[in-house]
Amino acid sequence: MSHPARLGLALVAVLTAGCATPGGAETPQAQVQVESCGRQLSFTGTPRRAVALDQSSTETLLALGMQDRMAGTANLKTKVSPQYADAYAKIPVLSPKILTSEPLRAANPDVVVSGFKDLFTADRAGTRDELEALGVPTFVSAVNCPDGTTPPFERLFRDYENLGKIFGATERAKQLATEQREALAEVQAVKRDPVKVVWVYSVFKGAPYVAGRDGMPSQITKIAGATNIFDDLATEWPEASWEEIARRDPDVIVIGDLTERGNLGDKASEKLAMMREHPAISQLKALRDNKVIEINGTAMDPSVRTVDALRAFGAGLDEIAGRG
Amino acid sequence: MAEAAVLDPVVSVTPVRRDKGVLLTVLSLAVLMVSLVLAVRIGVAASWPEIGRSLGARLGLPVVPLPRLLDSLIWDLRLPRVLLAALVGAALAVCGAALQSITRNSLADPYLLGVSSGASTGAVVVVVLGFAGSQLGVTGGALAGALGAFGLLMLLLRRTGLDSVRIVLTGVVVGQLFAALTSLILLSSGDADSIRALTTWLLGSLASARWTSVVVCAVVLAVGLLVVWLCSSALDGFAFGADTASSLGVDVRTTRTVLLVTTSVLTAVAVAAVGAVGFVGLIVPHGVRFLVGPLHRRLVPLSAVVGAVFLVWTDALTRVMFSPLEVPVGVFTALLGVPLFLLVLRRKGEL
Repeated sequence: MSHPARLGLALVAVLTAGCATPGGAETPQAQVQVESCGRQLSFTGTPRRAVALDQSSTETLLALGMQDRMAGTANLKTKVSPQYADAYAKIPVLSPKILTSEPLRAANPDVVVSGFKDLFTADRAGTRDELEALGVPTFVSAVNCPDGTTPPFERLFRDYENLGKIFGATERAKQLATEQREALAEVQAVKRDPVKVVWVYSVFKGAPYVAGRDGMPSQITKIAGATNIFDDLATEWPEASWEEIARRDPDVIVIGDLTERGNLGDKASEKLAMMREHPAISQLKALRDNKVIEINGTAMDPSVRTVDALRAFGAGLDEIAGRG
Repeated sequence: MAEAAVLDPVVSVTPVRRDKGVLLTVLSLAVLMVSLVLAVRIGVAASWPEIGRSLGARLGLPVVPLPRLLDSLIWDLRLPRVLLAALVGAALAVCGAALQSITRNSLADPYLLGVSSGASTGAVVVVVLGFAGSQLGVTGGALAGALGAFGLLMLLLRRTGLDSVRIVLTGVVVGQLFAALTSLILLSSGDADSIRALTTWLLGSLASARWTSVVVCAVVLAVGLLVVWLCSSALDGFAFGADTASSLGVDVRTTRTVLLVTTSVLTAVAVAAVGAVGFVGLIVPHGVRFLVGPLHRRLVPLSAVVGAVFLVWTDALTRVMFSPLEVPVGVFTALLGVPLFLLVLRRKGEL
């Protein structure tokens, strides 16, 4: 037999032995039980070494004042919100982009918090099964886990409540949810004309990405008493065509400002200039009358900042209406 | 000298060359072992004492066990990753060597026959359908797609004499078909995320390596390597064309079918496990041919070992170069492989 064949057999022998991983997971008395995206998480004590896998989870944990209980963050797409900058500076950045399983396990976390269930795959942070088998609960935002009935803002508030329970900060979580609920009620209280709105998040290779039915902007529009013209598309940020936007003739145009992200064409002013040069879009009444609202694009995605987009949208509509 | 050896494959290896061959095999296996051990150390955390404690605890030695997560980093992630790199590298290099001879084409690599295009179609279908969350989904989809592409290839070739030009052209056509299907699915229903996921996957990454994929690859590689090695003399004959092989007593059609099935299954399993890592299957066999000549009895096993060593080191490099970011290993196989290959080419002077 050739040497490589022998090596192959030896490998198989070693590996089959290797698969019998010693198990024996102890099940101590759990103090806190939380349901998170199809899984029951149990905590025996409050976590001291949380790792957040993305920006919105990081900001939510910072809003709850958890900076001293975090062992790391990752995948910051833009700059962290200025109010959390000091707290954020204390936390190690495990990866500027998507965190993979080796550095995550090296950070020795006792809970992993993620805004997206897609971050838990074998080639990213490792699967939820793997981590839970190692005794590390995996929290996935309810926003990324729609149940078909609860609107996104309510799911966001459910996250605050659940994270508050896990980290023993129920008061702070309740306060955060109450503040944001008040902001919702404030915007909702104003009586407005039911204007048609398009949200242009970004322009990639000439094609606009607009708000569909499944993202936060759709609910924001509804709360403010307006209609989102792309509510018939059941995704978060579908790619649309300029012609289709022109055909649907919105009364108001919202432009996402992603200056923080810093790519070419991310500034709201650049997107606006592009629209003013477009043969069809430039003729839209909304654009000629300058019925344009610029809103921080980061706040349009689900996070503690989303309520800022809501306030800005309400204020923008009122300002436009005030012009007469 | 090499040509004479090919024409009389049974008694051609003189004692002196056999000694040299044995020495080379022992030496390369030693290099492989050292590489495997060193590569386990490369990356975040995992110092030598920690690796020792992790292994020691499993062998029942009286050592203090590591903290659970650190232990799983070494045992559940790093070890399978290094071993999988070796297995995939070996599989790709062997497939490349065999296909270069079957198709009589020095540009042949394991992906020539459309297997990897089929794999990416399978993977993208799974991603678009929304099962991307489970790694088994993508791996399973890729495997199904790869085998589907190969099934189609064999179906198209079923009544033909399996001559090399026909194999290559049919393979290329099948590959183009599946590449078009992939683009169609991506354009019609993919979003930015699935396109990004697919691109990373296409370039190949060993980040998803686990024990299950190691065991599957090890078993398939052991069988595949044995089959290809047993066909060594037929491969030597094929290098001169079907007629020569036939006159040497090789059952051309049967042998070609066996080799096509073997290499395709090997490639399918490798691609499904780590994505389409380029370069290894194309260049390693050429490099090894420069070193030991064209005799497949020696070329095949040595290609396996060199391919394994090469991918183990390339993957180790991807772990540390831009740490903590993961760069697709396919990027580095070419970046590292090109200068190495040019060096061999320079030393040997001519093709």
